[in-house]
Amino acid sequence: MKKFQHQRRTYNKHLIQNLFKNAHDAIALIDDHLYFVDMNIAACDLLGLSRKQLKGQALANFITAEFTRQPNSLSFPPAQSLMGELLVSSSAQNQREMEYTLIPNVLPCCHLLLLRDISHRRESMQAELRQQQQRVELFSEVTLKIRQSLQLKEILHTTVTEVQRILQADRVLIYQVLPDGTGKTISEAVLPDYPTLMDLEFPEEVFPQEYQHLYAHGRVRATVDVHDPAAGLADCLVEFVDQFQIKAKLIVPIVQNLNAQSQNHLWGLLIAHQCDSVRHWVDFELELMQQLADQISIALSQAQLLERLEEVVADRTAELQEEINVRMQAEAALRQSEEQLRLITNALPVLIAYVDDQQQYRFNNQAYQDWLGQSPKEIYGSHLHQVWGEDCYQRMQVYVKTALSGQAVNYENDILLKDGSWRAVDVTYIPDVDDQNTVKGFFALSSDISDCKAIERMKDEFISVISHELRTPLTSLHSALKILATGRLGSLSTEGQQMLGIADDSTERLVRLVNNVLDLQRIESGKVIMECQACNAANLMIQAAEAMQAMAQQHEITLVKQPQDISVWADADYILQALTNLLSNAIKFSSPGGTVWLTVEQEQGSQNLPRELVFRVRDEGQGIPADQLERIFEKFQQVDSSDSRKKGGTGLGLTICRKIIEQHNGRIWAESTPGCGSTFAFTLPTLECVNISWRGIYEYEADFNY
Amino acid sequence: MNTKRILIIDDEETIQTVVQFGIKMAAGWKVFTASSGFEGIQTAQTEKPDVILLDVMMPDMDGIATFKELQSHSETEQIPVILLTAKAQTAEKRQFNDLGVSGVITKPFNSLDLPEQISRILHW
Repeated sequence: MKKFQHQRRTYNKHLIQNLFKNAHDAIALIDDHLYFVDMNIAACDLLGLSRKQLKGQALANFITAEFTRQPNSLSFPPAQSLMGELLVSSSAQNQREMEYTLIPNVLPCCHLLLLRDISHRRESMQAELRQQQQRVELFSEVTLKIRQSLQLKEILHTTVTEVQRILQADRVLIYQVLPDGTGKTISEAVLPDYPTLMDLEFPEEVFPQEYQHLYAHGRVRATVDVHDPAAGLADCLVEFVDQFQIKAKLIVPIVQNLNAQSQNHLWGLLIAHQCDSVRHWVDFELELMQQLADQISIALSQAQLLERLEEVVADRTAELQEEINVRMQAEAALRQSEEQLRLITNALPVLIAYVDDQQQYRFNNQAYQDWLGQSPKEIYGSHLHQVWGEDCYQRMQVYVKTALSGQAVNYENDILLKDGSWRAVDVTYIPDVDDQNTVKGFFALSSDISDCKAIERMKDEFISVISHELRTPLTSLHSALKILATGRLGSLSTEGQQMLGIADDSTERLVRLVNNVLDLQRIESGKVIMECQACNAANLMIQAAEAMQAMAQQHEITLVKQPQDISVWADADYILQALTNLLSNAIKFSSPGGTVWLTVEQEQGSQNLPRELVFRVRDEGQGIPADQLERIFEKFQQVDSSDSRKKGGTGLGLTICRKIIEQHNGRIWAESTPGCGSTFAFTLPTLECVNISWRGIYEYEADFNY
Repeated sequence: MNTKRILIIDDEETIQTVVQFGIKMAAGWKVFTASSGFEGIQTAQTEKPDVILLDVMMPDMDGIATFKELQSHSETEQIPVILLTAKAQTAEKRQFNDLGVSGVITKPFNSLDLPEQISRILHW
């Protein structure tokens, strides 16, 4: 037993000595005052002194002050070890970071101090930290660079350049997988010593479909040595990569998730090659590559968005350009049509203008320049008052207001031209009314009627000449013949009497003709205005019949009148003239013993218009052929011209009648059955009609007051 | 019918003549003649006729002016005046009536009918 114990003790001692001697950590025994008692080789190495030199030295000479305060061997509770860290300075002033374990009282008043060098571990930790920080910095730097650009090409270029710089890889590239299964390098950063893969297209077999699927699902491939069979590269692939001197490679997928529904799509690969040697890829490098691949994926999406946006912008730009073109064409067309309009209006010797509802010129033609000496440009935007001056404007104002109230208006005005001459103008204003019945302005047309006026004056003068110069000798002639015919100035032979008779008849005819020509002229020229008033139809008929009674007797005609007390709106003198004219015709064209009827009736007007009066003069004469019924109202038209001479008509009577009736807003016509006589009829408005039309006018005006 | 004294003022001598002949022949009245308004006024003042037949269209002083002149003299203002006119229009007749003349006889007329027309107008 003793032997066994001894053996065991010897074994333990031997073990401890071996441990002590060979331990990698420094082991020392220190006394209560922290003086070295003994130490192992590792401790000697650590402190840089021999065992002999160290023994008896104070631990304080080697460790940082902090430690001296820490352990107090006296205060250590038995067998409770103390752990911590401290700095140890060797004699060579080499400071090391140590982890210590102080085991008190391993021997009486003797403590065991274990020192383990952790400075290396620290350094690597710090290096790791630094690396990590650097990584973060690099990463943010790269992502920032990527984000700063929206151009995919630039992003990819930045990515490969930065990855190459950070990883210190020989070649970094981005390989795009094309839809047909082939692919090519679209961006690359490679050291000058190695061949470039840029723009090189790879057939599908280099990167088969099944591989693509794996990558699409996030596969990452880090190959330390392409030649290592453990890497699992096919021989052909090894051969393939050899031509680009690739020894180690790191591949991460660039995956796109096009939208929430679709599966991941492998857009391409981010690849790092090491060409000079095999390479152990560390986690950080893998992570960096993966994260950058993600960034590329985001950038891709953004670029695609941008591209789409650019497409949209381009499309819209094209559309806008098209719109601009269309508008420019429209404008050109408008300009052209305006030029054409100007060309046309400028060529016309009339004043043409458009005046807006503020009485300002919006358009006027060249004639304004020629007549008034004011150019269209000067006039544009000017008020009528400015252009025409006070006096002229006063004359036109009422018509301008009429036009702006929506009614077309025509009037005559006298204007002063730039050469100081006065011109008579005929002015027409036509209102410009829009869909909402708003008057936006009016079109104005003024034409020079000075020449017409001059002709009119000449005609007036001519009529005056006829009136006086012709009638005066006629009067003398007429009277002289009548006096001769009395026989009191001497007797004439029978032939003489006959000749005198012819002269007398002819003179009378000439007198009638002159009278009729003058009458017609007056009425046609519009000089005569019918002065209408309420007249009794019966009175008119009685007067007319009385006037024609003598003639009727002379022709042995019975004149039958059927007067009625109806009020009619007419100029009595002119209606009498018309009635006597018709009666005279009827008498002339009736055979002796015949009857002429003069009647009046109230009849319903056409198209539900108010009732009107119809006067009729009916005879039993030879009648008028149907094709002549209208013609007889024309000047100098008679059914049988020989009749004219025989009956002493002028051929103007019916024309005058028609003019008179038309001036009364009535109608005149003839009806006839050849052989059974003719009927001449005309209408005149009754008072009822006039009242209605007046009421209409008042209502219309009243409307305008609102 | 008493013998009336008629003054005809007309620049046209043929008219003067036929009027003179006609009136004398038809009614036996005495007819004075004047060839201008001026002369007519003088004759009217001296002869004091029963009626003046006055032509409207005359050189220098026309019928209207002559009538106004006659109206402004007390010796002649009472003498009825009948205008002889070629202006036969209704409107013109109305205008002449408005002047205050007794009547209007339009040309051409038959001078033999004049006494009857005058008598009707003046209610002789």
